[in-house]
Amino acid sequence: MSNLLVNTRDQQFILFEQLGIEKLFESEEFKDFSKDDLLMIMNEAEKLAVNVIAPTFKEGDEEGCHLKDGIVSTPKCYREPYKKFCEGGWINPMDSTDVGGQGIPAAVGFSNMELFGAANYAFMMYPGLTHGAANLIHTYGTDAQKEKYMTKLFAGEWAGTMCLTEPGAGSDVGSLRTTAKRLPDGKFLITGTKCFISAGDHDLTPNIIHPVLARIEGDPAGTKGISIFIVPKFTVNDDGSVGKRNDVNCGGIEHKMGIKGNATATLNFGEDGKCIGELLGEERAGIKIMFQMMNEARLGTGLQGLCTASAAYEHALAYAKERVQSAPVWEMKNPDAKAVTIINHPDVRKKLLWMKSHIEGLRSLLYFSAFCMDMSRVSKTEVEKAKWEGYLDLMTPVVKAYTTDKGLLICSLGMDVYGGYGYCQEYPAEQYMRDEKIATIYEGTNGIQSLDLVGRKLGQKKGANVMNLAALIQGNYTKLKTNPDLAKVASSLEEACNAWIELTMFFAQAGKSGDFLLPVLNACKYLELFGDVIIGHFLLDGAGVAFAKLEAIYDAQGATTLGKKKGLQRSDSDAAFYSGRIASAKYFANEILTTVKARCEAIKAGDKSPLEIVDEAFTC
Amino acid sequence: MNIIACVKQVPDTEAQIKVKADGSGIEDGQIKWVMNPYDEFGVEEALKLKEKNGGDVTVVCLGPARAMETIRTALAMGADKGIHICDPAFDNADAFVVGNALAAAIKTLPHDIIFCGQRAIDDDAGQVGSMIAEALNLPQLTLVTKVDFAGTSVKVIRPIEGAQLLIETSLPCVVTAQKGLNEPRYASLPGIMKAKKKPVDVKNASALGIATEAKAKVAKTIPPPARPPGKIICGDDPALKAAEVARLLREEAKAI
Repeated sequence: MSNLLVNTRDQQFILFEQLGIEKLFESEEFKDFSKDDLLMIMNEAEKLAVNVIAPTFKEGDEEGCHLKDGIVSTPKCYREPYKKFCEGGWINPMDSTDVGGQGIPAAVGFSNMELFGAANYAFMMYPGLTHGAANLIHTYGTDAQKEKYMTKLFAGEWAGTMCLTEPGAGSDVGSLRTTAKRLPDGKFLITGTKCFISAGDHDLTPNIIHPVLARIEGDPAGTKGISIFIVPKFTVNDDGSVGKRNDVNCGGIEHKMGIKGNATATLNFGEDGKCIGELLGEERAGIKIMFQMMNEARLGTGLQGLCTASAAYEHALAYAKERVQSAPVWEMKNPDAKAVTIINHPDVRKKLLWMKSHIEGLRSLLYFSAFCMDMSRVSKTEVEKAKWEGYLDLMTPVVKAYTTDKGLLICSLGMDVYGGYGYCQEYPAEQYMRDEKIATIYEGTNGIQSLDLVGRKLGQKKGANVMNLAALIQGNYTKLKTNPDLAKVASSLEEACNAWIELTMFFAQAGKSGDFLLPVLNACKYLELFGDVIIGHFLLDGAGVAFAKLEAIYDAQGATTLGKKKGLQRSDSDAAFYSGRIASAKYFANEILTTVKARCEAIKAGDKSPLEIVDEAFTC
Repeated sequence: MNIIACVKQVPDTEAQIKVKADGSGIEDGQIKWVMNPYDEFGVEEALKLKEKNGGDVTVVCLGPARAMETIRTALAMGADKGIHICDPAFDNADAFVVGNALAAAIKTLPHDIIFCGQRAIDDDAGQVGSMIAEALNLPQLTLVTKVDFAGTSVKVIRPIEGAQLLIETSLPCVVTAQKGLNEPRYASLPGIMKAKKKPVDVKNASALGIATEAKAKVAKTIPPPARPPGKIICGDDPALKAAEVARLLREEAKAI
């Protein structure tokens, strides 16, 4: 029976059978763990997600957040689950025990967050941002700041936010206008307005700690002059006791399409000229420091893309297996034919397989990204470490943008499976789509992510990260080509990978020859191609693993004929899973990877209509 | 205070159970296993009692090697140590053998109060708690929804048809937990990690010195009959359709 959120069998497949995270246990960092421990952690996460968090999904959306008399209230049903979540130690399981974590592998931490987020992402943003803020202070704070703020944040007693955006400075963060004025005691007076602050103000915790980007008076314009400050909602005395209310006020909360349970606030700092902030890290290093949190948030948003889509898919799948409508198409001439469950209709089936294959690929991409963090931690040499960090640097914008773009499509297809009912609030399909949409926009729009990929990430270390990733993919298809059952799809991956590499070189050449507008104009398309190739790689890699396991089951059960094999796929849950994994990979290769080369060629053809058309020709 | 909580590993209520072709039991290879939900109530009550009055909680479980997961879950919830009675000789054990085995293990430990689930959701026999009490010659308080500890005695509430009984007994005693007793906690992450270091003593039948021969035997496991398909009543006139439903309920289903 599905938990209607995340396929935990697939989670385990990726972690243990595909990535082989048990190899981490050989390292000093993870030697205290066993597979059984991790399975138990994953099991408890599932229980918490299903029984405690998921029941808040609809209610939280309906109640939403409210601002009254300056106080922001969150959905009442969030309070008890928030308490249970924090008490269970789920805010920072991946951090070291020194800061109250358990030091579990990031890959497993991601699998837990996938479950929690699938249960209710709007809810999960409160602890998620709290972790990001705490981690920032952990890396850059002074000992005193850690003691004052970090410990309580990691424990979830207080909450955190991330204050970048201003009404006139969103994608262009360098133009921010919030200022910091030096005080004689070394602290700063902060003045300015931040908007679209997720979890910006709420009643879940007695205090909220805001990391705020601002410019110290006299510092240069642009991103180089920006510093970062810790601004608490209630000031904290040096002995740790909570002092008076700081001059930070909620100017309003947004009425949004989705994630309604999360309070998106406008925050006014220093309306009365009394907002006190402490410098975090060095002066004018604000952007660099905030990037730690932004990178964490980008991966987190990628997880949102995955987990919301996963829940949408699991629901649509269960519905398609229950809902009876229309006789099958091969009985169209038989007036007495009985109606069947809609999963039997080819179009619905294909939609479901599109969703399934993308989700499995995206899940592998996300877990692999987390696994890169784990592997870089346990790497024995600098070269090895740089390789794993390089994968993650390169893929972060892809994780954020590709996962959320595809995630939204998955939610949309999920709604299609329901038909008209999916559009109605009676079923959760429409909420998944509403909750998912923001993920393509915030934490740097997907357009910005594409520019980050094309403009910065591809050229990092003179392209070494790209070469390493290409080598990983090449190793995979070279191996798979020796398997007669997978050779054809392996060739599709080879062709797609080569086309992607050629396009990458073409972009590099265009950049050198001054025609940088072509890569810029096609950055989003390029990111999508990158995503298709990389999840195609993971899906085929998974198919190789699944193939061997399935053959072993056939051998053990003496299934030599096609009929017997099909029978096993129906009766044996492992055989069903592995054959489903192979089907996902073949479908994705045949449906998507085969189009990569043509799409690369289309970009290289160099159409610049969007730039050549004059504004006035967009007639209205 | 020495508190014992007996636990059994059972198939998840969500698991799809398949009966073996020869009717000798269920296919147990691919199902998910969990702690019997009624035993969870017992563990939770044991932990609450410990938190209030001090002492320690020992989990006792009889089952195959995989049942260690269930012991670890109880330890992660906060129990202090475990005893795992594990021996292939118990493969066909009935409630009599299980009750005696658990009692024999408990006998070796100081025990003031012993919690069991009122029954296990797999075989629904509901006998083991009573068997333990009999084997240890202790009072038994069954189907309990409230426990008040008062030093040397306990008072419990046991719901009956239309009323409640307030029952008091001296310690030591056996209490079997009914739904409504409490809300079992979730294992915390620190709890899971700490559980790894807590001791679990594995014992076999000879160590306990008990007979393993069952008095009752499950002769055959028979799956429930497949549910007949539903009937859809078609037509445009709601009154006629309602009349047809009424007729079917009376004549076919004989429900009215």
